[in-house]
Amino acid sequence: MRYQSQSVAYWYFAVAMVLFGLQLVFGLLSATKYLGPDPLLYILPFDVTKVIHTNLLIVWVLTGFMGATYWMIPEESRTELHSVKLAYIQLGLWTLMGVTAIIGYLFRYGTGNKLLEQPLPHKIVIVICMLIFLYNIGMTIRKSGRFTATESVLMIGLVSSAILFFPALLHYENYTVSIFYRWWTIHLWVEGVWMMIMGAFLAYLLIRLSGADREVMEKWLYVIVGLVFIAGIIGTAHHYYWVGVPTYWLPIGGFFSALEPLALVGMAAYAYGAMRRSGLAHPNTLALHWTIGSAVFALFGAGLLGLAHTWPSVNKWTHGTLITAMHGHAAFYGAYAMIVLAMITYALPSMTNRREPGSAIGYWAFWLQISGMFGMTLSFATAGIGQVYLERIMGMGYLDAQLKIQIHFVMLICTASVFTVGVALFIYDFFRHAPRFATTPDPDARMPHASSGTL
Amino acid sequence: MNNRQARLFAIWGTGLSTLLFLGMTLDTHRQIPELTNSENITPQVTHGMDVWHKYNCINCHTLFGEGAYYAPDLTKITQHRGEPYLQAYMRDPSKFYDEQTHRRLMPKQDLSEEEITDLIAFLDWVSKVDNQGWPPRPILVTGSFIPGTAAVAGVDATGTPAAPEGTTPVDPGDDIRALGEHVFRTASPACIACHSTAPGANMAGPTLAGIATRAAETIASPDYKGQATDVEGYIRESITQPSAHLVPGDMYSAGGVSFMPPGYGDGLSAEQIDQLTAFLATLK
Repeated sequence: MRYQSQSVAYWYFAVAMVLFGLQLVFGLLSATKYLGPDPLLYILPFDVTKVIHTNLLIVWVLTGFMGATYWMIPEESRTELHSVKLAYIQLGLWTLMGVTAIIGYLFRYGTGNKLLEQPLPHKIVIVICMLIFLYNIGMTIRKSGRFTATESVLMIGLVSSAILFFPALLHYENYTVSIFYRWWTIHLWVEGVWMMIMGAFLAYLLIRLSGADREVMEKWLYVIVGLVFIAGIIGTAHHYYWVGVPTYWLPIGGFFSALEPLALVGMAAYAYGAMRRSGLAHPNTLALHWTIGSAVFALFGAGLLGLAHTWPSVNKWTHGTLITAMHGHAAFYGAYAMIVLAMITYALPSMTNRREPGSAIGYWAFWLQISGMFGMTLSFATAGIGQVYLERIMGMGYLDAQLKIQIHFVMLICTASVFTVGVALFIYDFFRHAPRFATTPDPDARMPHASSGTL
Repeated sequence: MNNRQARLFAIWGTGLSTLLFLGMTLDTHRQIPELTNSENITPQVTHGMDVWHKYNCINCHTLFGEGAYYAPDLTKITQHRGEPYLQAYMRDPSKFYDEQTHRRLMPKQDLSEEEITDLIAFLDWVSKVDNQGWPPRPILVTGSFIPGTAAVAGVDATGTPAAPEGTTPVDPGDDIRALGEHVFRTASPACIACHSTAPGANMAGPTLAGIATRAAETIASPDYKGQATDVEGYIRESITQPSAHLVPGDMYSAGGVSFMPPGYGDGLSAEQIDQLTAFLATLK
């Protein structure tokens, strides 16, 4: 750790870890309900466990993004954070918002609008937290006078995330219009500006871990950002299939979302190329696993599995089936969960007494999570394919078709258990090392650097 | 390509995409009122949407295929099930489905009567939105288009008919329409073996989706030769005397005689015929 104020990142990561663990509890609960009958039908029905599962995901990933940003910005701008106090106030407010929202969901206190279930007061707190965050980061960069290309991509990603949250605050009389703008927030987050955030973290990690030339890495970062937006903005169209908007969204959605994997291919090639060319070995090989893993798993989950059902003539059969759950789990995990875990794994040796190369537990956590999530993806895929053929194509009733695909739910629970063990090990590995916030003059001295150009 | 060109590519690519996207958004707003029949969004429909949100329906069901995948899609539900059926269903889902059989059940929601009526109005508005013809084939809640794969009555080891897979054992205290649906599945031969309740899905017999609406039209038309004077009467007559009025089509009748088995008038009790009629009359 080079700057004392980077230590705030540790507490963001710690909160993210706890929420990640909780997310899995509710995920497993939801999965077992697919096997039924449900003894908790009148205590914790599926809609409650599911809404908590998805909301915890959003909250912990965003907490991780914020922590990772607070870690990265001082290093990139070579200065202390503008205000450590503000960062802690923000974390407190944010955590309070997250926890009270979850408790509220237990009592059905929510908007009932998918992924945007947070009640209005909570949404307002989210906006306040974002503003504090952006102010703090903006002031840090302004005071330092050093603004790298990686930082600019990250900043644009974060500012746009905040702006795109605003349509979610409004109320729409027409359900179709409400769907239309819901995707401005959700889609443009996960397939647009969050990809920028992921790209920026990826570039940062690759420059640090492989010693790749900053000039070259940042050039390709721009190309990737260009590809993300060219495909991603109009690619929103694939959420406008079958919801009551004009027909032209169908071919446009098919074409532009078929381009969406390009950016992900770019990122994976970028990560792999950087590693191969550099010839330098950073001691933190565990972080390297997570970084490359994130790029590759995102290509598989978000790119390939998204492409699998994005064409309108395929999607008309698969829309609203477990095929979507297949894509959703692998995409979110690969692109966002793994990049946060990569940043945590990279930063942890500087903030605790964990050794640089990581421990055996750390590697078990990595491989169990990867194989567990891969198995879960296959379980959703096989269940989804069965569902599409039986229910959508052959015309068997929903409830009867669900009975025929029970075995895939058994498989889902088994593989999800493997995944959970992996996550539990990661969390254990995080907390078993006590934090230690001593600054070292130049942590980058652990590996020589090629260059460090600025904008 | 140098760094500056790469940056220009990102900026111009993003800018152009954004412009195109905003342009299409404007045009979409121009077309939405017509596509969604926005003039039909009455205060009742709006309140129904609030009910949909209040009870977190979307975290089990899908609407327009969006939501969660734990319960059936409801986009076209009001075209598959009539209002009285949906009302009775929402008062107590366990009267219609059995958790032991389907391994999942919708928990009773304790909706007020007004909430139920408005929610149905909202779902009915949804079902009429022009959504590019999705789903391409009706999505059924239970049953099947494929004869033999549906929940038809089996016979257990002792020779007595067992409750068919996929239905709830009903008792005489249940809603008459729920009892009727049970008859629909369990009568011998089962009605569901030849008739679907999905629009456009004709099997050996014509689909019974919309039967109540069509019955009213049939009775009013000069071609009608039967004795019935109202919808219930027409349905009752079709069950007990299938040839009294023939649905046009060589696949349904020949020489003035319907292909439908004529024995239901004797095989079913008067009470069962009442129940079956009540159920079918809900298929608007």
